[in-house]
Amino acid sequence: MNRRARTRTLALLLFTLYCVLYGTFVLVAAFGTFHEGKATGGLARGAFAGLSWGVVGGFGLIVGAFLLALAYAFVARDEETGS
Amino acid sequence: MIYETSTLAIAVFVAFVTAVLILSFWLGSRAKSAGGYFAAHGQVGWFVNGIAFAGDYLSAASFLGICGMIAFFGYDGFLYSIGFLAGWIVALFVIAEPIKRMGKYTLADALNARFQSRGLKLVAAIATLVISLFYLIPQMVGAGALVKPLLGLPHWAGVAMVGAAVTVIVATAGMVSTTWVQFIKGTLLVAVCTVVVALLLERGFSLPTKPISSDAIQTLQVTPSGTLVHGQPLSKENQLDSRLRAEFGTGFGSIASLPDGARSTGPLGPLAYFKVFAASTVTTWKKSTDPNGVTTWSPVERTGADLLLPGASPTFKGVRDDRLVAKLDFLSLMLALFLGTASLPHILIRYYTVKDAASARKSTVVGIGAIGAFYVLTLYLGIGAMTSGVLDPTDSNMTAPLLAKTFGDGLFAVISAIAFTTVLGTVSGLILAGAGAVAHDLMRDVFRMNLDDRGQVRAAKIASVALGIGAVGLGILFEKLNVSFLVGWAFNVAASANLPALVMLLFWRRTTKEGIIAAMSVGLLASLAWVLASADTLEKVLGYSAADAATMALVPFSQPAIVTVPLGFLTLVVVSLCTQSTTRKKPHAAL
Repeated sequence: MNRRARTRTLALLLFTLYCVLYGTFVLVAAFGTFHEGKATGGLARGAFAGLSWGVVGGFGLIVGAFLLALAYAFVARDEETGS
Repeated sequence: MIYETSTLAIAVFVAFVTAVLILSFWLGSRAKSAGGYFAAHGQVGWFVNGIAFAGDYLSAASFLGICGMIAFFGYDGFLYSIGFLAGWIVALFVIAEPIKRMGKYTLADALNARFQSRGLKLVAAIATLVISLFYLIPQMVGAGALVKPLLGLPHWAGVAMVGAAVTVIVATAGMVSTTWVQFIKGTLLVAVCTVVVALLLERGFSLPTKPISSDAIQTLQVTPSGTLVHGQPLSKENQLDSRLRAEFGTGFGSIASLPDGARSTGPLGPLAYFKVFAASTVTTWKKSTDPNGVTTWSPVERTGADLLLPGASPTFKGVRDDRLVAKLDFLSLMLALFLGTASLPHILIRYYTVKDAASARKSTVVGIGAIGAFYVLTLYLGIGAMTSGVLDPTDSNMTAPLLAKTFGDGLFAVISAIAFTTVLGTVSGLILAGAGAVAHDLMRDVFRMNLDDRGQVRAAKIASVALGIGAVGLGILFEKLNVSFLVGWAFNVAASANLPALVMLLFWRRTTKEGIIAAMSVGLLASLAWVLASADTLEKVLGYSAADAATMALVPFSQPAIVTVPLGFLTLVVVSLCTQSTTRKKPHAAL
C-alpha cells in the first residue's frame, strides 16, 4: 500500500469513528433522553462536575473533532506534496 | 423596539468597515487574471487559508443566529454549533484532498474533471447558484438585524449597506481580497468573543431587583396606523421592556432563582458556569398571538437543567415527542448539518486557493480549530444573553450585539463591526462562488462564449453585481426569520444536491456523468420541493398559523435531508448502472 493510500485509509477510519460518536449522540438525544415529554436519562443524566451528558457530549464532539483532525495531520505530515 | 444610537459605536463601526474596504481595494489591484480572481493564484498559505475558512464559515447564522436561538430556547441553538462543526469532519477526511486534486476554480470543475460534460457543468453551476442564494438570504437578514441597534437604521438599510459593500469587494478584487477579509474577520471574531465570554464568567449570574411576577404580561400590536405597546403608541418611553425595567429592574431574559438562595454568584469558572446555571431557574417568555394581531409575551419560569436539554424550540420540539415521525425533523436536520458543510460551494472553492492537497488538509485542520473554538463559546454567549435582561423578543438575531452592549458601548461597537464584517466575509465568498458558476461554468463552458482570461473576470464582476442586488431583495423579504433556521435549509439543499455526486465520484468507479447529472438534479429539485411544501415554510414564510400550516403541509416533516440525500445516492447508482456503456472509464487519479 503506498503512502497516499495509507493516508486515505486512515482518513476513512477516523471518519467512521466520528460518525459513530456523532450518530450515537444524535440517537441518544432523539430516543434516549425523553419519555412522554419528561427527561428520563440520556443527555439529561449527570456526567461529572455537575454537568449533564448534554453539555459534556456537545463539547466533547467539538473538541473531539479537533483532536481527530490533529491526529490525522500528524500521521499524514510526511505526505507533503499530494498535488 | 427603539434603540439609542451611540456616536462611539458609529465611529468604530465606520472606521472598521472603511479599513476593510480600503484593504480590499489595495489587494484587488493584484488580481487581474482568472486564476487570481477566482483562486488567488493558488498561493494562499495554509494557515491563512485555515483562518479564512473560519471567516468564511462563521456566518451570520453562527454568530447571530445560534446566540439568539440559545438565548431564546437554550440547548437547541447549541445543536447547530455541534452539527456545523461536525460537518468539517466530512470535509477533512473525505472531500478536502481529492477535491483539491480534481478542481481548478469551481465545484463544477471538480465534478466534471473525469467527464468533460456540458450537461454536468450546467447542473453543477445551477446547484451552486441555488445553494449560494439560499445561504445568502440569512446573511443579509443578519446584516439588517445588526444596523438596527447600532445605527438606528431600519432593516432594509442594513441589507442594502452589506449588498453595496460586498459588491464592491467582490467586483473589485475577487478571491485575494475576499481571503484577507475573511482572515481578519475570523481572527477578530474568535478573539473578541473570547473576551466577551471572559467578561461573562467574571460577572457570573445575579437576580433582578425584584422577582418578575407571573402577571407581568407584555403586549405588542402592529396596526395600519402604527405599533402599539401595552395599548399605547410605541415611543422611546413606551417600549416593550419599559415596564419590566421600571418595575423589576431587568428586561427580557433573567435569572429567577440561584442555588442556595443566593442573589448573586460572583465570578464563575468555565465548568461552574453551567453547573450553577443548571441548578438555577430562569424567567423565559412565552409568545402567543391572538386573531386581532396582538402578540403577548408571558413570563414562564424554567429550570436551567431543562434549558440545557434539546427540544425547547419549535424546530426541535419533536425530540420530546414519543412519536417517531415527530423526531424525524431533528434527525434530518442533524444529518443535513453533518453532510452539508462539505457540499457548500463557497467552502469548496477555498480549497483552490492553496497550492496542493497537503495544504488543503492542513488548512482544514486550522479551520476546525478556529471554528471549534468559536462554537464552544456560543453556549456561554447564548446563556449569558438569556440571563442578562437584554433580549429583544421581536428579533432573536440581535441577541449577540445586545449582550455586548451590557459591557459598554465600546465593546458593543467592536462586536457590531465584527459581526458586520462577518456578514461581509461570508457574503463575499458566496457571491464569488455564484459569480464563478456564472462566468466560468455557464458562460465559458456551457454556452461556449468566447471569453479570454480577462473576459471571464469581467463577466464574473458583472454577475457579482447582479447577485448582490438579488441578495438585497431577498434579505428584505425574509426579515423576520431566525438566520440559523434559514441556513438549515441551505445545508439541506447542499447535502441533497452535491454530496451524493461528490462522494460517489470519489469512491465508486462505475459512476457515470449521467448518474451525477441525474443525482444532482433529483437531489436539488426534491429538497427544494420538500422545503417549499413543508409546514415550516407555510408558517414562517407565508404567515399561516401553526395549526393551519400543519394541516396544509404536503410533507410529514420540514427538513428533507433524511429522505433526499439517500434519494440522491439511489438515483446516482441506478442511472449510472443503466448508462455504463456511454461513459469511458478513467482511473481515479484523485484518490
